[in-house]
Amino acid sequence: MLEAIELTKRYEDNELALDGLTLKVEPGEIFCMFGANGAGKTTTINLFLGFLPPTSGTALIEGIDVARDPLKAKRHVSFVSENVTLYGNFTAVQNLDYFSKLAGKRALARKDYAEVLERVGLQREAFDRRVKNFSKGMRQKLGIAIALVKDAANVLLDEPTSGLDPQSGREFLEILVQMRDRGKSVFMSTHDIFRAKLIADRIGFMRKGRLVMMKTAAELAHEDLTDLYIQYMEEPPSAPAAPLAAPAA
Amino acid sequence: MLRDIIRKEILDNITSPKFVFTFLLCTILILLSVYTGVANFRAEKREYTASVALNRKNMEAQPNYQSLAGIGVKISKPPQVLGTVVTGVEEEVGRVATVNIAYDPTLVDSKFGSNPVFAVFGSLDLTFIVKIVLSLFAILFTYDAIVGEKEKGTLKLALSNDVPRDRLILGKAVGGYISLLLPLLVPLLLSLLILLIAPDISLGGQDWARLMLIFLMFFLYLSVFFSLGLFVSARTTRSSTSFLVLLFLWVVFVMVIPKAAVITAGQVEPIPSVHEVTAKKDAFLQQVQSEGQKGLLDWIQKNQAEAAKDPQGYQDRFKRFIQDYQQELTTRIDENNAALERDYQQKKQAQQRLAVNLSRISPASALTFGSMALARTGIDDYDRFLASVRAYKPIYTKWINSKLGESINFQTGQTVTLKIDDMPQHVFQAEWLSRSLVRAIPDFALLVVLIIVFFVGAYVSFLRYDVR
Repeated sequence: MLEAIELTKRYEDNELALDGLTLKVEPGEIFCMFGANGAGKTTTINLFLGFLPPTSGTALIEGIDVARDPLKAKRHVSFVSENVTLYGNFTAVQNLDYFSKLAGKRALARKDYAEVLERVGLQREAFDRRVKNFSKGMRQKLGIAIALVKDAANVLLDEPTSGLDPQSGREFLEILVQMRDRGKSVFMSTHDIFRAKLIADRIGFMRKGRLVMMKTAAELAHEDLTDLYIQYMEEPPSAPAAPLAAPAA
Repeated sequence: MLRDIIRKEILDNITSPKFVFTFLLCTILILLSVYTGVANFRAEKREYTASVALNRKNMEAQPNYQSLAGIGVKISKPPQVLGTVVTGVEEEVGRVATVNIAYDPTLVDSKFGSNPVFAVFGSLDLTFIVKIVLSLFAILFTYDAIVGEKEKGTLKLALSNDVPRDRLILGKAVGGYISLLLPLLVPLLLSLLILLIAPDISLGGQDWARLMLIFLMFFLYLSVFFSLGLFVSARTTRSSTSFLVLLFLWVVFVMVIPKAAVITAGQVEPIPSVHEVTAKKDAFLQQVQSEGQKGLLDWIQKNQAEAAKDPQGYQDRFKRFIQDYQQELTTRIDENNAALERDYQQKKQAQQRLAVNLSRISPASALTFGSMALARTGIDDYDRFLASVRAYKPIYTKWINSKLGESINFQTGQTVTLKIDDMPQHVFQAEWLSRSLVRAIPDFALLVVLIIVFFVGAYVSFLRYDVR
């Protein structure tokens, strides 16, 4: 389970990146977080991964305070990044082997890697190709495979579907659903509201570091997504200027 | 986990085009350099042997001692076998010194002086390749070691696992360093083989020890740039910035500091020019020579009456006089020259010390001085050889003066047949390894200190590195 309690991050330049986020992503749940660039989505993920110390509040992974014991907390989380290029001179299998060993999975054999790579939809002939020749979709699939191999209880995804073609995007969502079905807590930051609607159990909108709205899948079913997006993502219009004083009679 | 990180780092490097490029270039350059070094040494050795033989033949061919005193003795500097890998100042400084009664010996006839085209292109010795080319490769291997992983997103992905940062940087450092050494080791081993089988090259036990120490110094030098690369890579947020910063530091360390140190030392500790010193020596020589002429005439005038009465006694006394008088005058010249030379050498050494110490901030200077000390091809070794020639001069002049006094028969006008078998020989004891090592220790220490400073800098910076 992923949990944020009054999680706040203020940078050195005094910019408030995250403002008192309180959120819980339960096992077997996919939570999709929306927000414009700079809204605080990636900051939330960075706080969960211990890449930033929180200004206040707590980020918990499986009940472990990330700020206090980041290494222990990170044993229980997999991460899929937006645009990871991986090691271009390595093959898919070599990349997978390296990251699985970093994740502490030392006993895996080639057949295990092949199984995972097939599961994420990577063609067999690509297994031993150098990753620098991969398309973005193929790299994202490999990124997912790395997360799958780790098999952590929680998954953090930072805009993983950006730039994916429809087919790859669909396959990607299927894998996330499989993860949820296996009881993982999935937190995904995304701009892709249409794909997210297909799989999310809950969604949230962030603006200027604050979680301004949260809806369940059931509530979302009757919503017009475009309206919702505009309503919560765009900056509310500033208050109209005071009318000019009426001229004296 | 550390082993996995090291293994990955090695694999990532050796499968990259830069590794192939480095390996090929290292092999070509190192082998070419050692081959050229061996060819040069063999030519120098042949030249040295021929020069020694020719000098002896020339001396033996002289009709008498006066004539021998006129040409003097030519002392050739033997080439150093480790000049094959560290040329040092061997090609810039003279190789032959003429020892005669009048003049203070100096080494002349340098390789660059006799054929300036060598000076135009310089020497491609192993030290030059390590100092210039391989240090650039060390930068090429490390400029993106950390910041590059950040740009690829792999750093964030790696650290999303329970991987301690200190282990990651250590693994990267060890793996990266092994990758850098791999393209070096093969050509270095091949070059050792060349040295082993090349004709005319015979390396003794001390030479091998010196060679190993020189190679150790090469590795330490490359480690300095490797650690510097890691440090800068852990302090920057873009690999292009890291590369530019490293290139700038490389130019400062390798080019600017050594030159600036020499210029600064020249300003702070000025020394008289060689021409000034020579002019002083010449002036004193002329003064002594005119005094000598006057003294000789005075003696002849004073003893003229006796020459007619007792010619044999006169001749014996004249011989003794000329022998003693010549010795007295040459001793005065030698003492004056020695005093001038001592003063000049003291000032020069003070300037050299300052230049060396200032330039030692640069690892390139530490490598240059350390490897030259170990190969016995440095300025100190040149000075030691010259000092040995200067120490030989009074020994030779004493011998030749004694021969000059005995050689003239005033009655018959005949001179004694020249024999050089009893002429004292110049002996030069090459520096022992222990002494060379003492001279090289500060350079070893400086390189180690720089490695520690840069690596600790990289380590601490990486622990605080913003991986986002």
